[in-house]
Amino acid sequence: MSEKNRDGKRTARERMQEERAAQEAKARRNKKLIVGGSVLAVIAVAAVVGVVVQNNRSKPETPVAAPAGTIGDKNLVIPVGSADAPSTLTVYEDPRCPACGAFEREFGPTIDQLEDQGKLFVNYHIVSFIDRAVPGKGSRYGANALGCAQDAGHFRDYHDVLYRNQPDETNDAFGNKATLIALAKPIPGLDTPAFQACVNDNTFGGWVSAVQQDFDKSNFKSTPTVLLNGEPVYPKMGTEEITPANLVKWVDAANQGKTLGTPGTNGQSAAPTSTASESNNPSPGAGG
Amino acid sequence: MAGQQGAPSHPHTATRPVGGALRRVADGPAGEWIGTVVRLALAVVWGWAGLAKISDPAEAAQAVRAYEILPESLVKPVGYALPFLEVALAVLLVIGLGVRIVAVVSALLLLTFIAGITSAWVRGISIDCGCFGGGGTVDASQTEYLQEILRDTGFLLLAAWLVYRPRTKLSADAWLAA
Repeated sequence: MSEKNRDGKRTARERMQEERAAQEAKARRNKKLIVGGSVLAVIAVAAVVGVVVQNNRSKPETPVAAPAGTIGDKNLVIPVGSADAPSTLTVYEDPRCPACGAFEREFGPTIDQLEDQGKLFVNYHIVSFIDRAVPGKGSRYGANALGCAQDAGHFRDYHDVLYRNQPDETNDAFGNKATLIALAKPIPGLDTPAFQACVNDNTFGGWVSAVQQDFDKSNFKSTPTVLLNGEPVYPKMGTEEITPANLVKWVDAANQGKTLGTPGTNGQSAAPTSTASESNNPSPGAGG
Repeated sequence: MAGQQGAPSHPHTATRPVGGALRRVADGPAGEWIGTVVRLALAVVWGWAGLAKISDPAEAAQAVRAYEILPESLVKPVGYALPFLEVALAVLLVIGLGVRIVAVVSALLLLTFIAGITSAWVRGISIDCGCFGGGGTVDASQTEYLQEILRDTGFLLLAAWLVYRPRTKLSADAWLAA
């Protein structure tokens, strides 16, 4: 009897202890589940918030405002030369890209000439991806300033001046808006309050981003990318190296038997830089 | 959370091999301090990586696109979510909440990155990993796949330590367990 009673007592105590242990284990497990669940929820919410926030922050692929006279279905392209010229040169350039500077300094005068002769219609895509790799804002601010110059009808001249005064890639001189405005001074009619405000306010920042996003989605990976009637010609067309003489030859060959476009500057002001050689326009910092 | 009960150390009877001594250090309070250092180091890594990618959504998306792995429809969601995810991991690591789970997620993320970089390397495309901002196509001479993989492997070791020993000093987990 008493034996049995003691047994019963012990089991009751054991049962209580076991129960308490089980409850504690359960509480610990619950705590773990709550903490683990909350942590996973925080991570998931962060990801969703990221998508929403960045979606709101990112600039649209179709710009809200584009410089006057830009072409293409999203107005991302700056046209220079006669639109009815038989050949089209498509150029992707970044204001900070050294190879673009070298290309412009070597080929700029030839391209200006081909434009003025009605032989070549040039489509510029002013991209701005060097800023991602090399700290600074010179690509984006420079591209915006080029948009401002386009808006004012002085793209070609300002473009030529900008590349002739291009700093080293690591020097973010174009990230300084005052520098960009100062470079407009030699171009008659460009250095206006409207242009200054456009540069200072980064008026076409959204357009610059849209042009870059379009380039991101393209198959082109570097600048300058230069296409003559859709065919890559930089640094070579087929096996032939690009030179100013070869470019003229290729354009003439492509234009053979076709009617040339309207000659002249086609809306771009004829500054001394546009058709003549570099020596006509002494520019500070060009460094020979 | 979890983790084994820290065995009381007996320095005067330490006659076992070095491995055992190391294990006792890892299990003891010193190990929990080491864990704190590891946890904060990994937090710095995620915080730095996330904040570097957060400012320019288009750049982050392009860094993802450049791997040429995900379809275009996923490029932006991944590029947009990733920096926030990384910052969330950093914050959780700083406060020390759910360290083991956060470490597991960190390890999975790092393994994904290492796989992505390896894939780019094997396929012969020339990109910057975009691990700490930047990203996108670079000149073939400027790829740093080996360095990037070794770096991420180092971070993976930090995460692995925390999966193995999630109990750390100065953590929300420790405070909740008390």
